[in-house]
Amino acid sequence: MTQANGKTSEGTKATAVTRAPAKVRIEGLYKIFDVGHGKVTALDNVNITIPDGEFLCIVGPSGCGKTTLLRILAGLETASEGNIIMTQRDKSKPMNSMIFQEQSVFPWMTVQDNIAYGLRMRGVDRKESAEKVDFYVRKIGLLKFAKAYPHQLSGGMKQRVSVARAFANDPEVLLMDEPFAALDEQNKVLLQEELLRIWEETRKTVIFITHSIDEAIVLGDRVIVMTAHPGRVKADVRVDFPRPRKVYELRAQPKYGELAYKIWDLLRDEVLKAKREEGTE
Amino acid sequence: MSMQGLAEGDVVAVHPGEISLGAPKQQRVHIRGDVAERLLSIFSPLLLLVLWEVLVRTSLLDARFFPPPTGIVSTFGSLVASGELWNHLSASIVRILWGFALGSTPALILGLIMGLSPIIRAAINPMIAATYPIPKIAILPLIMLIFGLGEMSKYVIVAIGVFFLVLINTMAGVMNIEQIYLDVGKNFGASRKDMYLTIAFPGALPLIFAGLRLGWGVALLLIVAAEFVGAKSGIGYLIWQSWQTFSVEAMYVGLIIISVLGYISSLVLDELERILIPWKSLHLKS
Repeated sequence: MTQANGKTSEGTKATAVTRAPAKVRIEGLYKIFDVGHGKVTALDNVNITIPDGEFLCIVGPSGCGKTTLLRILAGLETASEGNIIMTQRDKSKPMNSMIFQEQSVFPWMTVQDNIAYGLRMRGVDRKESAEKVDFYVRKIGLLKFAKAYPHQLSGGMKQRVSVARAFANDPEVLLMDEPFAALDEQNKVLLQEELLRIWEETRKTVIFITHSIDEAIVLGDRVIVMTAHPGRVKADVRVDFPRPRKVYELRAQPKYGELAYKIWDLLRDEVLKAKREEGTE
Repeated sequence: MSMQGLAEGDVVAVHPGEISLGAPKQQRVHIRGDVAERLLSIFSPLLLLVLWEVLVRTSLLDARFFPPPTGIVSTFGSLVASGELWNHLSASIVRILWGFALGSTPALILGLIMGLSPIIRAAINPMIAATYPIPKIAILPLIMLIFGLGEMSKYVIVAIGVFFLVLINTMAGVMNIEQIYLDVGKNFGASRKDMYLTIAFPGALPLIFAGLRLGWGVALLLIVAAEFVGAKSGIGYLIWQSWQTFSVEAMYVGLIIISVLGYISSLVLDELERILIPWKSLHLKS
C-alpha cells in the first residue's frame, strides 16, 4: 500500500506513516481572505484524515467555510497555510472530480458530450470513452436524452448528468458540494439513492458537503460537524448503518433519530452563533 | 408518451423529438389570426406600390424624384439583361466578404484572449475604447491614402468596421460566461487550449453572432460609402453614378438591391445561427 510516498498536491512532504491507508489527509489547513477592511478567517486549523473508500459528509452552518474547504481540495483555490496530502494509487487516473452545487453542465454540449468531458480532456481514446459514456447514460436513466442539450432537461436530470460526468472521469476522490440542494424533496431522494447505488459499485472516496443532517446520515460513513465562522472541526460522528442502504428504510430506524438528534445538538449552537453574527454585522 | 429509463417524479421539460413543433394546440387557436396577419403584411406594401403608381400617373407625385414602380421595374429588367447589375452586385459582395473575413478573424481571436485574460484585457482595452467611437467613414480618406483607390482600401474599411463590433461582442461573450463553467474546466483538467475551444468559444458564440450581425449591417453601410467616392463598380458606385447622370430609376434599383441584400444576409445568418448554436435555438424562439 502506498503510504509515505503519497503524492502531495501542495508539493509538501508526507512524513507520518499512518496505520490505516489514508486517502486524503488535511493537516493544519487555514484559509484567510483579505477583504478590504481586514482579514477574515474562513478555515481555522482544519485537520481531517479520510481513509480510502470512505464516504465522508461534512455538515456545518452556512458560511462555515465548508465550500471553501472543498474548493481547496479541488484545486480551485489555494490554502493560506497547511497541507493536503492525497494518495494517488493509479497515475493514469485524475486525482479528483467535483460535482458542483449550481447548474454546472455545459449548455453547449449534449448530455453525452458533457459526461465525456473529463475523459476528453485526459485524452482517453474515443472507443473507451464512448463505452464509458454509454454505461453512465444508461445508469442515470437518460439513454433517450443522450443527444439532448441541457435546456431540454429538468433540474434533476441536469444534476444526474453532473454526477455521471464526475463518475465517468473515474477519479480517485469525488468531491461533492451540496449537489442536491437545489432539488425538490422527491427528486432529492431519488438522486440520493441513485448516488448510493453508483457509489456502492465503485466505493470511491467521497467528500460530500451538505447543510442537511438527514442527507449526511443517509449517505455518509462518517459525519464531520463544523463550527460556525471561522470553520473548525467540532465533532466527528460515525454512522454505521449497513450498506447497501435505502433512504426511507434507513430513516425509519430508531437509530436514525438518535443520530440526527446528536448531530443537531452539536450543530445547534453553531447555527445560532452564525445567526447572531449575521444580525450584528 | 413512454418514458422508459426515466425515474418517476422527474419532470421532462421538452421531449427532444418535439422541440421544433412548439405548442401545436395553442397555435391552432390562433391560426385564423395568423393567416389574416400574414395576408395583411403582404398586401399593405403592394397597396402602397399601387398608390405610388397612381399618384405619379395623376401627376400628384413628381416623377423626377419618385419614378413610378413600373419604370423602376423596367430599368431593373434592362440592368439585369445587360449584366451590369450583376457586375455591381458581385463586386460589392466580394468586397464585403473579404472585408468581413479580414476583420472578423483577428477580432474573434483577440476577443477570446481578452475575454479570458484580465491582463491582456487591461493592456489593450484602452486603445479599443479610444478608437471605437471614431465614425469609420471618417477614416475612409486616410484608408484611401494608404491603400490607394483599388480593392484593398474597400476590404480594409469594411474590415475595420467589422473588427470592432466582433471584438467587443466576443470579449463580452467570454466575460459573460459563468465562472462555474471555467471552474469545471479547471477541475476536469482542461488545458489552456481546451479552455478556449471547449468553454470560451462555444460559451461566447451567441454574442459572437450578435457581433457578426451588427458587423454585417456596418459592412453594407461602409461599402456603399467607399464605392461612392473611389470605385468603378459596386452598388454604391451604381447609386452615385445614377445621381450624376440623373437616372433616378437606376438609383432606386440600387437602393432596392441593398435592401434585398441586407434582408437575405440576415436570413442566412439566422440559419447559420440555428445550425451552429442548436442549444440556444429554443431560448430565442420562446
